[in-house]
Amino acid sequence: MNCVEGQAIPEWVMPEVPAERMRTMAAILRDPNPLHWDRDAVAALPLGLGRRTINQGPLGLSYMVNMLHAWAGPDSIRRLVMRFPQVVLDGEHVVARGTVTAVVEDQGERYADCDIWLEHAERGVLLEGEARVALT
Amino acid sequence: MHKVPPEAEIRALTGHQFPGGHYTIEHWENVLLTGCTGADLLPGGLAHPAALFHLPIVGSGTSIAEMFALGQAESDLSIMIESYEWEFFQPLQEEREYGEEGYIASAERHDDSEREYDRIQFAFDVSAQDRAVARSTVTWHYTRNTL
Repeated sequence: MNCVEGQAIPEWVMPEVPAERMRTMAAILRDPNPLHWDRDAVAALPLGLGRRTINQGPLGLSYMVNMLHAWAGPDSIRRLVMRFPQVVLDGEHVVARGTVTAVVEDQGERYADCDIWLEHAERGVLLEGEARVALT
Repeated sequence: MHKVPPEAEIRALTGHQFPGGHYTIEHWENVLLTGCTGADLLPGGLAHPAALFHLPIVGSGTSIAEMFALGQAESDLSIMIESYEWEFFQPLQEEREYGEEGYIASAERHDDSEREYDRIQFAFDVSAQDRAVARSTVTWHYTRNTL
């Protein structure tokens, strides 16, 4: 795959983050945190989030995984680092985006190092991080 | 006001080892998890990389609830994610047994102008047939008296 520094990665869109998927994910992860399935628990927080559940961290991260897979292939990801400056809420329209920061060779393999992030039209960057993907 | 645990108790968590064990990502589990992400099932039995969150936690013999309790979380609502770092040396596969080991890499108190919290970093290694498959580093903040 041809790839150059500064190249934008095709975006991946989650049109509406579904609350019911957070519930399924809570069961898979064995995550007891009510923030992911109890709107009243979130509304009670002093954060002004309203009655909306909060997406699990790995689920928000997975949107960027899906973006990288669509671009570089389903077994391309070598490393991900993700930070969580803001929460992702149910019902939100979010877009995974990224740019290539470097193309590197290591032990005969070519990799793209990327900045990646999850964006909301009004609230800005919700998640941000870096990834390394193999270029085949 | 919640009682903040003594700093020494938090610092003493560094080096804590989980029992270790094995975990297999079942096909049904991969189907449901992949669906939650909004993607189609990956080809060739590949598991969605998002499985690298719970695979090593459960497989190493711990749980999210126990990780909360070890840091004496005030409640489930008091945990904030700092970062997740995932390294893949091989792609994860469904229906393959993996070995997992986990430990607490660091545990320290932070008290800045805005809030007091304990920063606890968990490290998990995933292997198969004595070969490294993946590594997950989970860093959480256990906030104190912010709710």
